[in-house]
This record gives sequence, structure tokens and C-alpha cells, in this order.
Amino acid sequence: MGKEKIQINEEFWDIMPEDYRDLVTHATYGKPDRGWKDVGSSTELIAEHSLCAGCPESIAFRHILASIPAPEDTVMVGSTGCTSLVFPMVAIHNIHSLFGNQNAIATGLKRALAVRFPDKNKDVIVLAGDGATVDIGLDMTLQSWFRGERFTTICFDNELYANTGGQESGLMQKGFVAKMAPVGKKFEKVRLPEIARESGCAYVAVLTTSKPSLVERVVRQAVLIAREIGPTYLQIYTPCILEIGKQSMEGLQEMRDAEAAGERFKFREFVTPEAQAFIDDMAAKKKAEKLAATAPSAN
Amino acid sequence: MYLVAHVDTKVCSETACKLCTQYCPEANTILYDNDMKTAFIAVDRCKACEICVSVCDNMAKHNAIKMVMISDIDHAFEMSKFGFRPNEWDHIEKPSVAVAEVAATGSGKD
Repeated sequence: MGKEKIQINEEFWDIMPEDYRDLVTHATYGKPDRGWKDVGSSTELIAEHSLCAGCPESIAFRHILASIPAPEDTVMVGSTGCTSLVFPMVAIHNIHSLFGNQNAIATGLKRALAVRFPDKNKDVIVLAGDGATVDIGLDMTLQSWFRGERFTTICFDNELYANTGGQESGLMQKGFVAKMAPVGKKFEKVRLPEIARESGCAYVAVLTTSKPSLVERVVRQAVLIAREIGPTYLQIYTPCILEIGKQSMEGLQEMRDAEAAGERFKFREFVTPEAQAFIDDMAAKKKAEKLAATAPSAN
Repeated sequence: MYLVAHVDTKVCSETACKLCTQYCPEANTILYDNDMKTAFIAVDRCKACEICVSVCDNMAKHNAIKMVMISDIDHAFEMSKFGFRPNEWDHIEKPSVAVAEVAATGSGKD
């Protein structure tokens, strides 16, 4: 792959869709320092999608796709759910897997890419909802962590099965009453971040998508650590405004409320000592680069 | 007719916050012209969720974004017509609303 793969043959330029031409001319493929700052002045890697107006999941998608360090060398694996409505509009290679099978697919994919491209870094990112990650696909999710597979798992946690009308999910809060779970949930929210830490993940983070700079830092770290050290896991709160009975403009405030001190999505991360050393090393290198870039102008 | 978000470019160009571009759920919908220092909306992509209105009113406190009837906007920017070409944005006339204060439901055209 690589940036040249997205180029258009000159003879076909005029018949290609406008969106694709914009991607070739104004997208951020192949820029190592790509990040949140590019949004607004460069084409995003996601186009018009069919999610509801004001869906926080689509905010999360924008933030994540802006933060992935090397989109041209990344393959994303999705699963059934609202995320699978968006993946056809995402300008990164992606695979739709059977419901719950996403981490098994990603395992094979990562290994095959490592054999096929031994000299290149190929990132694999799994992006699925909480039903696929925690309920239906828990076996595949956990087994991939036990084996120490080097890819990133991102869980969009909306705390219920929103796409099918609001059934109870393992990540739902205790006592929550959904449209198709009228009795209320009887057991606690599954503590998957802690399970991930104990299952061998090198880096685990729980966050909401209300701060793009935080999402950028966390996604970047997660992908780079997965490249070098071991599995990483991110759990991102993307509330379904329809199922929790909010207006379209209230999703952002809902996320901000859920990340307040003592709430269930207060930002927390678990980092192994090895991963911490890697992060520190990365920060030191970046600092040195910055110093080197500013030094000539200072003299 | 239906409502879409509209940025008052006069108010917006006096600030440089860009907060609305960060929180819009739609990709490439709230665009930012770096030369004129203002955000503007691609009306064919806006789903009228009003997140940008609440961001501009409550977080940024600039009150620059209002919901208006799409037929009231002159020179509306359409992504499908103009494409994503940041270099040309300063030549394009920015969207404007003729009626001075158009409330969310007060335009009378529907």
C-alpha cells in the first residue's frame, strides 16, 4: 500500500467522484505529524455517513480517523452495528467481520501482513461496538489479548444494543432500563478495562470523545504501542442519544457529564512499565526533534 | 423547507476558536477559512443536529451560529458544488442571511 495507491490514473481523473479527487489532493495520507490540527483545512478520511443527526459515535469516528498515525498503512476491522454503517464511507482499508469475530480476523490479518510486508509497519485496528467486543465476541477479544496479538482494539461503548432498539448489554450500567429491557439491568457493568489489563494488554484507556486532543494522544499511543509491544485496548463512551432519550444536541453534554470525577467514564489508563518506557522515549525523541528544528533559527 | 446551521461570519471572524469544527458529527461540514478567519457551513451536509449551536452558545459563548431556513441563506456553500478546495475559499462569497435576526422558527417560510 502507501500513498501512491490512492492516486488516480490521469485518464480517469475527470470521471472519478469529486469526493475521491478531494481525498487525493487534500487528504493527510503519508504525513507523519497528521493530527487534529489538520481538520477543517484538509479532507477528512470519512465522508457523508448515514448515522443519526448529532450521533456522538460519528464525532468519535472523526476524532479517531484524524488521529491514526499512518492511515495508508492501516487496516481497520469492523463488526456488525452502527459502526458498520460508517465503514463504507471511511477512506482506510477495512474489513467487515462476522458479528463478534473481529479480533480473530484481525489476528490473522496482522500475522499475514507481517509475513507479506516484513520491512514495513502495518497497523491493524479493530473498531467495534460493545455488543461485539464484550458480549458476542468476548471469547475472540480475550483470546487475542491472551496471545499477545499486536493490534489495537477500540470499543465504542454505548452501554446497550442501540442498533436493534435497546436491548441489555454487558456494559450497561446496573439498574438501567432500556426500551427492550424493561426490568432494568440486574448486575454491574462488566469491568472490561480491568480485565484487559489482567489479560495482557500493554495499554488500556477509558475515555469519552469530548476532547479531540485527548483522543488524539490516546489513539496515537495505542497504535504505536500495539506496533512495538503488545495488544492495546481503548474504551470510548459514545452514547446513543435516541436510546437514552436525549435531543440531538445533548450528546456532547452527556459525554461531559459521564467523564466528571467519580463517574464511570472518568479518564483512566493502565500502562505497563514497558509501554510507559516506550511513551517516555517517544516524548523525549519528539522534544529532541523540536529542539533541533528550532535551534538553527535561534543561532 | 428545513433548518440548517448558519455561521454569522462577522461575529465568527473576530474570534479564532474553531470549537464548532471539532464537535460537528459530520465530516467536512463545518469548514474553516484560514484567510477570512471564519467558520462556514456546507449546507448539503448539515443534518441540523444543533451541536454547533450549543457549542458556540455555551462553550465558546460567541453566539455566532443560528439555525435558519435553508431558503433564507444567500450564497449557501454546497460541498457537492464547490468541492473541498481550501485555496479557493477566500474567493467564494460567504453565506449570508438577508433578514437581520432570524429565529429558529421565526422566518415564516415553510
